[in-house]
Amino acid sequence: MSKIVLEVEGLRTSFFTRKGIVKAVDGVSFFVREKETLGIVGESGCGKTVTGMSIMRLLPEPGGKIVGGRITLNGTSLLELSKREMRNIRGCMVSMILQDPMTSLNPVYTIGDQIAESVRMHQNLADEKMITNEVVSSLRLLQIPSPETLLKNYPFQLSGGMRQRVVGAIAMCCKPSLLIADEPTTALDATIQAQYIALFKDIQAKTDVAIIFITHDFGVIADMCHRVAVMYAGKIVESASTSEIFKKPQHPYTRALINSVPRLDRKDDRLYSIEGQPPSLMHLPPGCRFCERCSDSLEICSKEEPPEKNIGNNHTVSCWRVQ
Amino acid sequence: MEYLRDINEAKIEKRMELRRKFSRLMLIIPVVILALLILSAIFAPLLAPYSPTEIAMTERLQPPSFLKGGSPKHFLGTDSLGRDVFSRIIYGARISLSFSLIVIFITGTVGTILGIISGYFGGRLDSFIMRFTDVALSIPAILIAIILAVGLGPSFKTIVIASSILGWSGYARVIRGEAMRLREVDFVAQARIIGSSRMRIMIKHIFPNVINPLIIIATMMVGLMIIIEATLSYLGAGIPPPNPSWGAMVNDGRNYLETAWWISFFPGFCIGLVVLSCNYLGDWIRDKLDPRLRRL
Amino acid sequence: MADILLEGRNLTMLYPVRRGLFQGLIGMVRAVDNVSFSIERGKTLSLVGESGAGKTTTAKSVLLLERATSGSVYFEGKDIYQYNKDQLKREYRPRVQAVQQNPWSSMNPRMRVKDIVAEPLVVNAKQSKKENYDRVVELLDQVGLKAEHAEHFPHEFSGGQRQRIAVARALALNPSLVVLDEPVSALDVSIRAQIMNLLKDLQEAHNLSYLVIAHNLATVRYMSHGVAIMYLGQIVEYGDTEDLFENPLHPYTNALISASDLKLPEDRDQNEKEIILSGEMPSPLNPPTGCRFHTRCPEARPECSKIEPEMVTVGKHQVKCHKFV
Repeated sequence: MSKIVLEVEGLRTSFFTRKGIVKAVDGVSFFVREKETLGIVGESGCGKTVTGMSIMRLLPEPGGKIVGGRITLNGTSLLELSKREMRNIRGCMVSMILQDPMTSLNPVYTIGDQIAESVRMHQNLADEKMITNEVVSSLRLLQIPSPETLLKNYPFQLSGGMRQRVVGAIAMCCKPSLLIADEPTTALDATIQAQYIALFKDIQAKTDVAIIFITHDFGVIADMCHRVAVMYAGKIVESASTSEIFKKPQHPYTRALINSVPRLDRKDDRLYSIEGQPPSLMHLPPGCRFCERCSDSLEICSKEEPPEKNIGNNHTVSCWRVQ
Repeated sequence: MEYLRDINEAKIEKRMELRRKFSRLMLIIPVVILALLILSAIFAPLLAPYSPTEIAMTERLQPPSFLKGGSPKHFLGTDSLGRDVFSRIIYGARISLSFSLIVIFITGTVGTILGIISGYFGGRLDSFIMRFTDVALSIPAILIAIILAVGLGPSFKTIVIASSILGWSGYARVIRGEAMRLREVDFVAQARIIGSSRMRIMIKHIFPNVINPLIIIATMMVGLMIIIEATLSYLGAGIPPPNPSWGAMVNDGRNYLETAWWISFFPGFCIGLVVLSCNYLGDWIRDKLDPRLRRL
Repeated sequence: MADILLEGRNLTMLYPVRRGLFQGLIGMVRAVDNVSFSIERGKTLSLVGESGAGKTTTAKSVLLLERATSGSVYFEGKDIYQYNKDQLKREYRPRVQAVQQNPWSSMNPRMRVKDIVAEPLVVNAKQSKKENYDRVVELLDQVGLKAEHAEHFPHEFSGGQRQRIAVARALALNPSLVVLDEPVSALDVSIRAQIMNLLKDLQEAHNLSYLVIAHNLATVRYMSHGVAIMYLGQIVEYGDTEDLFENPLHPYTNALISASDLKLPEDRDQNEKEIILSGEMPSPLNPPTGCRFHTRCPEARPECSKIEPEMVTVGKHQVKCHKFV
């Protein structure tokens, strides 16, 4: 087994708002190994983005706070670092790709300048030529055609897919050991999305990088990830290898999610749909968080939170139905 | 399991609650200040201890009553002609506040209407209105004021007209930009799909959504208008000298700053107070009008 | 004979591109190029394609947000481009409504739900406030919301609920056709199914026709009776949904299907490798000669770059590719 790059234990992140405390992430544990892609899948508001932001320690201020848990990256405990130490790790040991390629690049700087900025910050390269070399090689890694000419371009001159590659190049230029990708393909067209995913598989083969892929799209998960963690209302309700999740989903929420995605290879008369809405993170129910929408709930479900059970093969589920 | 971090959420919550209460309290202060100033402007004859224009050369340049050597008769001291500063501030509020409110109302209305029309229609009409705006922005208000003063004679009305003729252009510029952006927003397309007329779209959909920038400019203008009134009056276009206005009072005390600072300081302080209060109040009005920020 | 409600005939939409100090005309973008389609009463037609394919522009010409440069739209057999303003307002606009993609921007944030849903009634039908309100409550009920929701503002709702409000607004005037512009793509996975089921139920209950704009093929397969696949302003494949998905012909359709299929890599057969297209869609300002897809086509032949293929009928659907000429 290759070594564990990131380990998150009992992470709890809350937002302190005018209306009350929002428990966005409430006791989440997972790990990622070298060369491995972990998919975190869930709906908006389930805490998947906040989990990513917590690892980066880039929670919106004021209000966002990590209130509990431990995050260990390559043996370093991230929550113990000072802001300055964390800045050195960010962009270097761990970096992030955001969803929208239109807004994650600064429109007034050239592509070359924006990648070089990251190189300059984290690598002690005195020579401008060496910096340019680094920039070009990271553009090559992202399979960007004719990188030397692209350096002088501005973001508006590029298409969405190309911009997202540039964002990837910025993230990869310092050879991080962990990459957090937050819905990086959602804003892209289907054929471009397929290119991007193939590209990341290729990068991972070349660099050993561990990837956390945050998404709501099961199609992307199926193509890209080795393991999946399904999040609901701030908790991981099920986690297993990708093929286990698709073939033997145990948690009713996972099952419902997979069934509610329309299929291309068959004609459905009616889609399975989960009625209702996720609970408010400000007023969480006492028992299982999915209980209210679950078609299969027991009496205990509304009273006590189900414990996490390992059913073998590193497949964990939190559900009273699973024995 | 023992974790490295374990923060007590309830404690933070309590602290935030206190902060919230405090900020709500802070909101009352500007409202009270503005209310007091407006009331004192309305009831000036009842409140002012002296006539604002009465000259008493024997009592000139007296410091405020709470300072060493101050006369108990004059709470905020007297100016170079022995006029009571406190009374002049109360009367001055009438001119300064009414001038700025009237001008802001006129310029804000004209500027918003032109801005919305220009931004929503676009094309030639937009180019026309915007060239017009550019011209208005480039003419110095003082020039217009002097010309008008010659034509109409110096008066309150003259400076209101002089400031309003050009003052709408700033509003029009900003509101136009906002209207142009809103024109492309989905809910405007939706309004067209259901068959709304352009008039209805501008009134129902564009206007309520340009209120935020409108309030920001309007509150910024309050202080500026008080100063402009003083400048125009000083140049002889506005209210002739013995009548008090805050701007004019600040100006009067200019030569005595070292020896009798109170002549300029107190009216200046009032201007600052009004500007600050208006800014707070503007934020509050904005929040109240916006359903997304309204507290339940 | 099928009962055709709306027909687009040879729609072409050109946009001038101006650049520089004097705004000189440097070219024309053919956003939509000779597109024809028809929608039957009570049925759904989907326009599928990637951004820049011209599907939204086509929908705009139907909604009259923009007029086609040439070609026309026929509604119940009549050319609406010949209608005057008054006829449009009375006879066309109220019957063709829309639900937009983004439920966060499609409603005026300063209006209450009752005013949002009632707005089509206020603008078009002269009724009393009471009548309008009753209709709003009825509509909210149809889309699965409660009467008390009428008093709230849009920001108090989740995306799925907002999309329900948007649907209620679109139904207010009892339209015959509703244009659904990516109706579920901004929503969460579990909510998408709710909205799609709702739209299907409403279609049956009111005999509605839908013109769906979408990029997600699986959604399209579930929702629609007919599909038109668009690429760079043109329809490249057009036909009955089942037929088209069971037997896709155009190489672009095949690539799209491959890209959106939910399949584990291990479950793919050896010969069924995922098709990954190279490159990106060229600029519509300067479209390739011949077949517009030839720059990315894995099966391109020499003639593809020279001659534009004709639309031909193969089996039950039409396709625009040299392979079938």
